Amino acid sequence: MSSAAWFCLGLPLAAALVITLAGTRISRRGAAYVSTLTTMGAFAAAIVVFARLLSQSPSERLANQTTSWTWLAAGPYHFGLTLLNDQLSVMMMLIVTGVGSLIIAYSVGYMDGEDEERRFFAYMSLFVFSMLLLVQTANLLLLLAGWGMVGLSSYLLIGFYQERSSAIAAAKKAFVMNAFGDATFAIALFLLIEHTGHLDFAGAFANAPTGGTAATLIALGLLGGAVAKSAQIPLHTWLPDAMEGPTPVSALIHAATMVTAGVYLIVRTHPLFEHALKVEDLAAGLGGATLLMAGLIALVQTDIKRVIAYSTMSQIGYMFVGAAGGAYANGMFHLMTHAFFKALLFLAAGLVIHALTGEQDIRRMGGIGRMMPRTRTAFLIGSLALVGVPPFAGFFSKDSIVAALLSRGAFGVVLAMCALIGVFLTGVYAFRLYFVVFHGEPSEFAREHLHLHGTSEGPFSMVWTVGALTVLSAVGGFLQFSPFWHPLSTWLAPVAPPFAVASNTQELVASICAVFFGLAGIAVAHQLYVAKAAEVSPVLRRLAPVAEHKFYWDEAYDVLFYRPAVLLSEALARYVERPLIAGSIREVSVGFGLGSRLAGRLQNGLVRSYALALAGGLAVLAVVFLTTR
Amino acid sequence: MHGPDISWYLALAVTLFAIGALGVLLRRSPLIILLSVEIMLNGANLALIAFARRLGHEDGQVFAVAVMAIAASEVVVGLGLIVAMSRRHLELDVDKLRTLRG
Repeated sequence: MSSAAWFCLGLPLAAALVITLAGTRISRRGAAYVSTLTTMGAFAAAIVVFARLLSQSPSERLANQTTSWTWLAAGPYHFGLTLLNDQLSVMMMLIVTGVGSLIIAYSVGYMDGEDEERRFFAYMSLFVFSMLLLVQTANLLLLLAGWGMVGLSSYLLIGFYQERSSAIAAAKKAFVMNAFGDATFAIALFLLIEHTGHLDFAGAFANAPTGGTAATLIALGLLGGAVAKSAQIPLHTWLPDAMEGPTPVSALIHAATMVTAGVYLIVRTHPLFEHALKVEDLAAGLGGATLLMAGLIALVQTDIKRVIAYSTMSQIGYMFVGAAGGAYANGMFHLMTHAFFKALLFLAAGLVIHALTGEQDIRRMGGIGRMMPRTRTAFLIGSLALVGVPPFAGFFSKDSIVAALLSRGAFGVVLAMCALIGVFLTGVYAFRLYFVVFHGEPSEFAREHLHLHGTSEGPFSMVWTVGALTVLSAVGGFLQFSPFWHPLSTWLAPVAPPFAVASNTQELVASICAVFFGLAGIAVAHQLYVAKAAEVSPVLRRLAPVAEHKFYWDEAYDVLFYRPAVLLSEALARYVERPLIAGSIREVSVGFGLGSRLAGRLQNGLVRSYALALAGGLAVLAVVFLTTR
Repeated sequence: MHGPDISWYLALAVTLFAIGALGVLLRRSPLIILLSVEIMLNGANLALIAFARRLGHEDGQVFAVAVMAIAASEVVVGLGLIVAMSRRHLELDVDKLRTLRG
């Protein structure tokens, strides 16, 4: 049990260390294969852990805990390097290593010929390790460590193209936003230590304050961390900028690691959130607002990766709504299917970008489907899964979230309406992207710049991984089809018993509505971009700049935080630093210079004057002794 | 008590010391300065021995012997410096040797 879990955690770390330490002694290809094979090895280890869990009873599964050593001992507190392999963490391990290894295998082809390929693969392995640490630990302190390391890895990978100043700015933005979340997370942990004296999951949850300000503050702190990591309002602005990294990095951040960590945290610490239901409602509300806003912004973006990025933000919004609404298993289920189809969309977009030698503007693409039919099929399946058209993956997971919301009273119904409007928006933006990029006659730019090698649409490593993800996106949803079968809900129920369970009628209503809204969105996109039968109404056209400016969040942060900070520091520089600190230092240095010049004049190099000074001194001493005797 | 009174010895010692000091202060040749230093040391030695004889203690004589040893080694160092200077064809004038100034 324990050794497989340790292998799963240790292999990616070992790969990162080996690639970094070997330097140029390992070939670029070699680094790529080390990274790929170790992540696949971690996946195999995760499967072994999963198989072991299958043979246990549900209550035994909760107690699979191994400690390697006491990592930190401070007074009465002992924090072990402890792994917990219960149902929830095993599910996350499988997603992280499974989807992660496919993405890293894809990078073998995508990053081929790139300078500093080795650094890229070392970072990717480090990223997978950080995420595994985050999902495997049994105490909140180590979870915070993994949390911070995920932020560090994302910083390194978003800023991978160091020569681009925009990439550096995006990396810094992501890091600062995440650091804010880390800080609120840490404050929540301090409060937990004060009130419970425990940071391991079992002890902290059992002794947590069951109400009042303390419970609210703890939940708020955790929510702050989750919101920053998962790019929800109001800490979401880093996610679209994170597209500056290479495409596989975007896929890894959006599908397998990083942004799903917030959802995992909410499900993992659900007892703390359940003691502060207002915070839980706030989390669900933020998720609902984010999914609508991101859907609207995605309608007007022109960068293929940014459209998908906003779609991620929107889908994470669904997971937040589900997890914070009490339907933990449904949120986790959507996390899983989203990992499949979002990785697929990103990697298929990567194939297009790769074939067009780096072009990302969809206005210059067009009709690429004629030349890349298999990529087109993969992208179509990914988009259908994203919108939630049966029988593809998104249908099963998204509808069950909407259904669970319907069972949560008036607030739930409002959120469900948001979610349904979000489904409509998803249909429009997903198929706007699909129609503009793949449909119709090839554009001039595409004809000139599309470079395909032979009949294949990309290197083998890129094609087979996209193929595997296509299959997963097509059939992955059948894992759970409530109300007919729900193994995932049963599997997760001992860890996180849901308090929002939909009745059969609600399931049916939600499914019909969601499919209807999704198809309506696709139909609107078809009318606008293929049949050209309809025009965007002038009112909407006038509102488009609001979405193009991403609802002015960046501008608002600029005015609220950046400008005042600059003004304050400029005022301090002008009125405090220059006259007081720099001024006084200058006076002191001038004084010392003057003094030393005077003292230096005494040493004139004439031995006789020194002798005279000695004699004079002696004479003065003699006179003093003789007169004062 | 034989010989002249101690004041004669002291007068001679002071005279020697003054001659040496004036030599150090006024002359320019390092060789002469070295000689003048020796004269100053001998003036001091004379005073030490005179007091030792007057008081009947041997301490002053012991000091005088020590001073002579130090004077000898000082001459070695000083003459070595002067030889080194003349090998480099430096002018033997202490007023010209003033590179070490602030």
